[in-house]
Amino acid sequence: MITLAIDTSTSRTSVALTQDGAVLFRAHHDDALAHGEVLPDLIQQAVKTSHRIDQVVVGMGPGPFTGLRVGIAFAQSFALARQIPWRGICSLDAIAMGISEKEFMVTTDARRKEVFAAHYVDGKRRALPIVCAPSQIESMKLPIHGEYSHEFPDATKLELLAQGETYTEPIYVRRPDAYPAPVGVKFRPMNAMDLVSVFAIEKAAYKEDPWSMAQFKEELAGKNRWYLVAEYEGQVIGYVGALTNGDAVDVLTLTISPDHRRKGIGREMLRRLIDWSRNKKVSAIMLEMRVGNTEAYPLYLANGFVPLQERKNYYAPGVHATVMRKELT
Amino acid sequence: MTEPLVLGIETSCDETAVGIVRGRTLLANVISSSVAEHARFGGVVPEIASRAHLEAMPHVLEQALSEANVSLKDIDAFAVTAGPGLIGALLVGVSSASALSVALDKPIYGVNHLSAHIAVDALNSTHLLKPTIALLVSGGHSSILQVNDISSDVKVMGSTMDDAAGEAFDKIARLLELGFPGGPGIDREAQSGNESAIDFPRGLTHPNDQAAHAYDFSFSGLKTAVSRYLQQTPHFVRADVAASFQESVVDVLVTKAIAACKTSGIDSLVIAGGVAANSRLREMAEERTAKAGIELRIPAMGLCTDNGAMVAALGSIAVGSGKAPSQLGFAANSAAGLDQVIF
Repeated sequence: MITLAIDTSTSRTSVALTQDGAVLFRAHHDDALAHGEVLPDLIQQAVKTSHRIDQVVVGMGPGPFTGLRVGIAFAQSFALARQIPWRGICSLDAIAMGISEKEFMVTTDARRKEVFAAHYVDGKRRALPIVCAPSQIESMKLPIHGEYSHEFPDATKLELLAQGETYTEPIYVRRPDAYPAPVGVKFRPMNAMDLVSVFAIEKAAYKEDPWSMAQFKEELAGKNRWYLVAEYEGQVIGYVGALTNGDAVDVLTLTISPDHRRKGIGREMLRRLIDWSRNKKVSAIMLEMRVGNTEAYPLYLANGFVPLQERKNYYAPGVHATVMRKELT
Repeated sequence: MTEPLVLGIETSCDETAVGIVRGRTLLANVISSSVAEHARFGGVVPEIASRAHLEAMPHVLEQALSEANVSLKDIDAFAVTAGPGLIGALLVGVSSASALSVALDKPIYGVNHLSAHIAVDALNSTHLLKPTIALLVSGGHSSILQVNDISSDVKVMGSTMDDAAGEAFDKIARLLELGFPGGPGIDREAQSGNESAIDFPRGLTHPNDQAAHAYDFSFSGLKTAVSRYLQQTPHFVRADVAASFQESVVDVLVTKAIAACKTSGIDSLVIAGGVAANSRLREMAEERTAKAGIELRIPAMGLCTDNGAMVAALGSIAVGSGKAPSQLGFAANSAAGLDQVIF
């Protein structure tokens, strides 16, 4: 099987032709603003090497949007024209694949003084990539690989990556600037009337170990607590709870109904939680998160929470917690 | 020999569109618009448009091929809008078209969006492609062009000094709460209004402007006048405001287009672009060109706004007149002028 591999997620436009691991053709061009002009020519060279192509694999980012879409648009139309399949992979994985360290970060230039980043342990990516300030990645005190050390997605590795996790949509990470706050969602303090709906979401979200109704009642009546719900069309769809504990705020829960995830509601609740904590003049926010919660981890990371330590068997035997802390300066 | 089969791709703004023509015969014209996603911002958001293009492209391509009942292998040449337009949006179309060209080893023509709006007039008709004056009016452009040869010789006689005509419609529609895009809302509201109720200014029509700006437009003064009128008139009649505003825009457009025909001695006028869908513009242009002895052509409604058929039409004219195709890897140009018809 002959694979045409394309990546335009960084300042480098990379093309390769591989056949079951063997490299038939490889070429790249470094220019952050010329993906559109460079790519057709590189592909034409590849096609001259082998006219037969059986699949296209493309880096889906994250990466600066305009260049990123050049590669993806090209890949999907090329596949359509040849009536062959195309697959998308995470571009940061194509950098990580060449690195043998036990734990490290991969970053690429996200422009606007930010980086796209992902955290790798034992060769595996821990969660979806994030976009954040470079200083935040540096504060994790891990080796950093990627564009700033002249390491780019290796197109010859895309064939192998396509056998793992694939993506059908670009990994944008950052929203369009004009993306509005979740439309029609209201945020207000939780009251006793909400407990039935809150408990229903709790059970749906944490099947093995939900809080009990009694725990919620106790929490709501407790001192130094702050509970907020998100409401959509009169229905509670999520909640966040926190406790001031000396000089820090502890996040007790942040839960979104499974039907309403990935719409920016968690992000908005976390933003409000951070604002509330700042008003309390505490110096840090702490939280525990299930190891393997790949949806929440990038959200916390992107908002300045740094993983501190792991607590074994914290939730249940075999269910570990990651402790994360955000400094409020 | 049969006439060339040309597939055209258009992604310069918020419509993802593919058209297929054989010679001058339209076979398919499929448009997917992201306009609803922009409505709440009152204008097109480039990043939202670009995301939508990438998502829609394969579906629009497949639907156009199926409507035309041809397969990609049958296509003789690909054409794509290479500018002017939003750069991120243009690049999705140019990359897709380049991929089709490389994958199938067929020529590609990067074409000018504005020329394509005029070239669409050639479709489904047999009239000779002779010199004409073109009034090109849309949300992004307002120009009067002298078209000697659509694929090689187009001169700009005048254009807007500030807003495009369609943009003025959008902005006034927002003030009148008539939705986005503003053209259809104002057109509808104006039906029941009195167009001479309010005497709004007509930009650059003063005798003093004739030397330097005979064929140029300006709509910002009109916009300010409407806005001030609304502030000062607590109980204004919305239909009258819409009709009077529309009358002012349309009057200037038609007057200047006919003047351009007269000075250049060309007795043919094509009105193209999204604003050509405006019913008052069509009506007034018909009346006044008939009186002046000018032949008027306005493309069918679906071919006035951005579409792929117009791109395919210009591509087909280029193929037919033996123009060399574009070099693979040509750069999309967000600010392309009319001197750049084929890239």
